[in-house]
Amino acid sequence: MTEPFIESEMLGTTHWTSAAICDLVDENKGSIDPRIYTDEQLYQLELERIFGRAWLCVAHEAQIPNAGDFFSTYMGEDPVLVVRQVDMSVKVLLNQCLHRGMKLCRADLGNAKVFNCSYHGWSYGINGDLIRVPREEEGYKNKLIKSDWGAIEVAAVELYHGLIFATWDRQAPKLKSYLGDAAYYLDTFLSRHDGGTEIIGGVTKWVIKANWKFAAEQFASDMYHAPLSHLSATLAAMPPGTSVSKAEWKGTGYHVRTHQGGHGTGFFSAPTEAAQIENIQILFGWMGEDASKYYYTEAAENLRQRRGDAPLGINGAHMTIFPNLSFLPAIQTLRVWQPRGPNEIEVWAVTLVDKAAPQAAKEQWRLGNIRTFSAGGVFEQDDGENWVMIQDVLRGYRARKTALNTSMGQGFSKPHEDYPGIVGDVFSEEAARGLYSHWAKMLTTDKWATLYD
Amino acid sequence: MTDIVVPDSQVTPELQYRIEQFLYYESRLLDDRQFRLWYDMLDDNLRYTMPIRQNRLRREQHLEYDGAAEAQFFDETKKSIDMRIRRLETGFAWAEDPPSRTRHLVTNVTIFHVCKENIQLSAYFHVYRSRLERQIEHFVGQRIDCLKITGDSYSLLAREIRLDQSTLMTNSLSFFF
Repeated sequence: MTEPFIESEMLGTTHWTSAAICDLVDENKGSIDPRIYTDEQLYQLELERIFGRAWLCVAHEAQIPNAGDFFSTYMGEDPVLVVRQVDMSVKVLLNQCLHRGMKLCRADLGNAKVFNCSYHGWSYGINGDLIRVPREEEGYKNKLIKSDWGAIEVAAVELYHGLIFATWDRQAPKLKSYLGDAAYYLDTFLSRHDGGTEIIGGVTKWVIKANWKFAAEQFASDMYHAPLSHLSATLAAMPPGTSVSKAEWKGTGYHVRTHQGGHGTGFFSAPTEAAQIENIQILFGWMGEDASKYYYTEAAENLRQRRGDAPLGINGAHMTIFPNLSFLPAIQTLRVWQPRGPNEIEVWAVTLVDKAAPQAAKEQWRLGNIRTFSAGGVFEQDDGENWVMIQDVLRGYRARKTALNTSMGQGFSKPHEDYPGIVGDVFSEEAARGLYSHWAKMLTTDKWATLYD
Repeated sequence: MTDIVVPDSQVTPELQYRIEQFLYYESRLLDDRQFRLWYDMLDDNLRYTMPIRQNRLRREQHLEYDGAAEAQFFDETKKSIDMRIRRLETGFAWAEDPPSRTRHLVTNVTIFHVCKENIQLSAYFHVYRSRLERQIEHFVGQRIDCLKITGDSYSLLAREIRLDQSTLMTNSLSFFF
């Protein structure tokens, strides 16, 4: 019996079968089919099955402190408004008027009493209720039931240490279950100090003409690229005249694939005081003395006391929460990779700091992020260059037919006594394999229970 | 951010000419990739910034630009510019190797304040960037400069770059404005 093609709400039936999608990601061989980065139908399936179901980070609480404050963002390609309510709860609404589909609010952020559609004037309360319709009497003869036409609301909203997450799927598990093993590492970033976090200024946005999974995977899994891709930045951050051999990335570290959910992280964990001092010096070079000192002493101690972490704990790290939330603890950049078709992303990045950090440390993180991990940052520039070039190469027929190698560290990861997840050497692609396998599962399975087998 | 630029009555045609020549020379050094010579034109106390701009409702226009202590695409000192140039000089700066072709067009030069130590001016720019085979980008905006008078020349003491984009349409700001 031939396997049926995938039924898609958006596409009717796509030319992809479940088996064909699963074949794109070969865990055993350690390879992926590059069409996952280019195929338009797969992308439309991603919008439906991944971005239409997963828990997505939509804002930080600090972006909407007061009633009526809104922040305009995207869940996949769907525009949404994250709105602080009068009772201080948070609602996430589809940013679309239900009359003709016009974008309800076109500002990036601000404060509003109502959302007024600029097309015909339907007005919605900040809670999404349709409250006013022009010519209700003459036009609709008072027959319009406004309560049936409120703005579309997400299925669920949850807060996690200041971040606001939302999902369109009523069947989605609770956020904590969705995060699974990843929560421990996310806490290292968001709850290193129990005083909470804040973000500095607005969102820095820029375009990279590459598939979102290059970025998501790299932040989940790829410490491997750093020594070479970022060699110029590593050298430039060191004293003038430093030799290439001195810029080698040293230290012991771990790489984590979460048991479920496609999340991943990698980090250095200094096993000795000497290695710890080296780690501190790296952060000192990139961010500054105050940030480095706060991060490794006061903040690390605060976390250790609450959680009983190993004394030298988790240092600099990269992480992705599936599908598109990534961050770098210690550097303190947090970003969402907004998909814009299979060939483009918008990066939405903020600098996130502990409220308790000294002002001097916060300023060093602000400046440090501008100079390292932002559109003009000396690290970030080279990431974009790589991803854009790969996407360009994949225009080619032969290139798209060429399987790519994802085999690093295969078979060498296992559970660890200190760290949750499947843990291996910091240079590994276990988390990439986890991310792509979960990606294939989400595209081909419509039941969460099956996803979390 | 809402300052209105008015020409200073002390601006003579000669001063206008000298300032424009200074700005053109600076552009030429950047486009000729003479970054060290350009670096020498920077004042030791340089502040070089490019604030982000957000789409705000008209009633919240005063919040369009992020403030000096908030989010910026650039917030540089002479020392951090040196770090950026050293990166280019390593031979491993992939986003600029092979290097971009840039052309800095500078127009609408308006000197709006002259005193014994400083000259403040506004200029419009159009930076054209062509990269590798067919990557083409345009950046248009305004620069608010403060030049320090140093004998018979100037050094760049402050530059605020007001780019006319909200979402930045490039994957790498690996060049200077």
